[in-house]
Amino acid sequence: MTERVVIVGGGIAGVSTAASLRAQGFGGEVILVDAGEFPYDRPPLSKDFLTGSKDIKQIALQPAQWYDDQHVRLINRTTVTALRPRDGAVELTGGQLLPADRVVLATGGGAARPPIPGLADPRVHVLRTADDADRLRLSLTPGARVLVVGAGLIGAEVASTAVRLGCEVVLVDPVGVPLAAALGLELAAWLHALHDRHRVTTVRATVESFTNRPEGIEAVVDGVAGVHDAVVLGVGMVPSTELAEAAGLEVDRGILVDERQVTSNPAVLAVGDPARLRGVPRTEHWEAAQQDGARAAATILGTPAPVPTAPWFWTDRHGRHIEAVGHMEAAAHTVIRGSFDDPTFSVFGLQDGLVVAAASVDDPSAVRAARRLIDRRIPVVADRLADPAVNLRGLLRG
Amino acid sequence: MSNGIRVAALDDIPQGEGIAVDKAVTGTADDIALLRDTDDTVYALDDTCTHETASLAEGWVEDGYVECPLHSSRFCLKSGEVQGLPATKNACPHRVEVRDGEVYLFPGESP
Ligand SMILES: Cc1cc2nc3c(=O)[nH]c(=O)nc-3n(C[C@H](O)[C@H](O)[C@H](O)COP(=O)(O)OP(=O)(O)OC[C@H]3O[C@@H](n4cnc5c(N)ncnc54)[C@H](O)[C@@H]3O)c2cc1C
Ligand code: FES
Repeated sequence: MTERVVIVGGGIAGVSTAASLRAQGFGGEVILVDAGEFPYDRPPLSKDFLTGSKDIKQIALQPAQWYDDQHVRLINRTTVTALRPRDGAVELTGGQLLPADRVVLATGGGAARPPIPGLADPRVHVLRTADDADRLRLSLTPGARVLVVGAGLIGAEVASTAVRLGCEVVLVDPVGVPLAAALGLELAAWLHALHDRHRVTTVRATVESFTNRPEGIEAVVDGVAGVHDAVVLGVGMVPSTELAEAAGLEVDRGILVDERQVTSNPAVLAVGDPARLRGVPRTEHWEAAQQDGARAAATILGTPAPVPTAPWFWTDRHGRHIEAVGHMEAAAHTVIRGSFDDPTFSVFGLQDGLVVAAASVDDPSAVRAARRLIDRRIPVVADRLADPAVNLRGLLRG
Repeated sequence: MSNGIRVAALDDIPQGEGIAVDKAVTGTADDIALLRDTDDTVYALDDTCTHETASLAEGWVEDGYVECPLHSSRFCLKSGEVQGLPATKNACPHRVEVRDGEVYLFPGESP
């Protein structure tokens, strides 16, 4: 029987594991070890936290009292340095052993740093932690020349936040239409074009090198040199798999898990950004991490796992709120509900009369409906979906 | 004990949806959401999501829960207990009764 669960990492995946264990009636000990001050939420780091309109307390995943109320022992400012599955324990900084019947790895990841010469310059930033955001914010002063490398989700959000703070922003990416696979080509192109409408200069190119100059940091972009006050890399994340690897668990571009989040060692589970379901690419989204936590808790308790739903993520840029659900790359064709000039609109991806994906701008409700249409495999007529006068909730009733 | 306030007819609330009752009617600090589950039971919770500003009456009601329309936190219809982040506070439940197809609300009384 599982008496004591140790969760390594207090991001959304780790905290959700703890919360789900309790919600599902786990009566044993739950210990959450986290390297930081307290578990906080990451999506605001590139949004409200970066502008300074929310402070660290306001992005706490749970109020401090919650840990007491839920009998979750939070060991903060502490790193797990090794897994000792054979001893039934994990090792903490300083060598102390913490006994555990089950260990849940919720270690997240770090920002990727591609091998570009000159990257060690202090004016080059990444964004994964609150410390990163605090440091970056100091550089985002009005008039500052900021180069953002990578126009994916985080790069685009940083560019949008920086321009709002009055910076002169250049956004560079070798890909012409970033996020086309996730959002569909039309919406992705519209979103990328939004940057230019908000005074962000977009450049389709690759960064070759950085050099420290008295007047700033020089970046060579497709052979052309430009000087900036700060550089932000938003080029992806690297899953934290070191503990798993050192403990001999199977790792391949992520900690390999089965559909119940169990790693190649039955005493160890993995959740969130670093976990990868065999045969499927890793996801790096907030809700996927939350659902992993709920599934891991069900596995530990031996209860049925929650039914998986279509994957969902959101992003915010230039004051617009974008949500997407499902697999747009699996769509044979798309229908647009409303028009790209409307204040709100959505794109649905269809395949054989079924919705397989949807993305909306400032219309979360359309995505909530789409998710149900996808999960319940409710057949739809494209024309009705495209008609903004047709109530989407009505379509759910068939 | 009072007989409650008649706030709606059951048919005013589509199955799986909610409607908000204005605080001027309920005399409470917040509007109250009447939420009709997929099994046709009606529940009432404070309307404003405990996370930010969304109206739970515009949420998605199914299988004993309401999902916030804005960031998808889920609340137990019966107890108001929050089931998933980002919200961390429970919603306040109120007693409701359906009699002869009419919905009566007892603001401030626990269900
Ligand atoms: C700037 C930013 C913006 C984002 N915006 C969005 C968004 O808008 N929408 C969306 O869907 N997703 C967004 N994401 C992605 C989302 O935040 C991640 O998918 C999510 O945080 C993953 O959660 P996690 O718990 O797996 O990992 P993490 O959040 O990385 O948490 C891991 C935790 O484990 C701790 N840890 C690691 N190793 C150890 C150890 N050995 N000992 C102790 N503690 C350890 C770390 O300190 C950290 O606190 C964003 C991410 C970032 C960085
Ligand atoms: S406003 Fe309801 S979850 Fe955010």
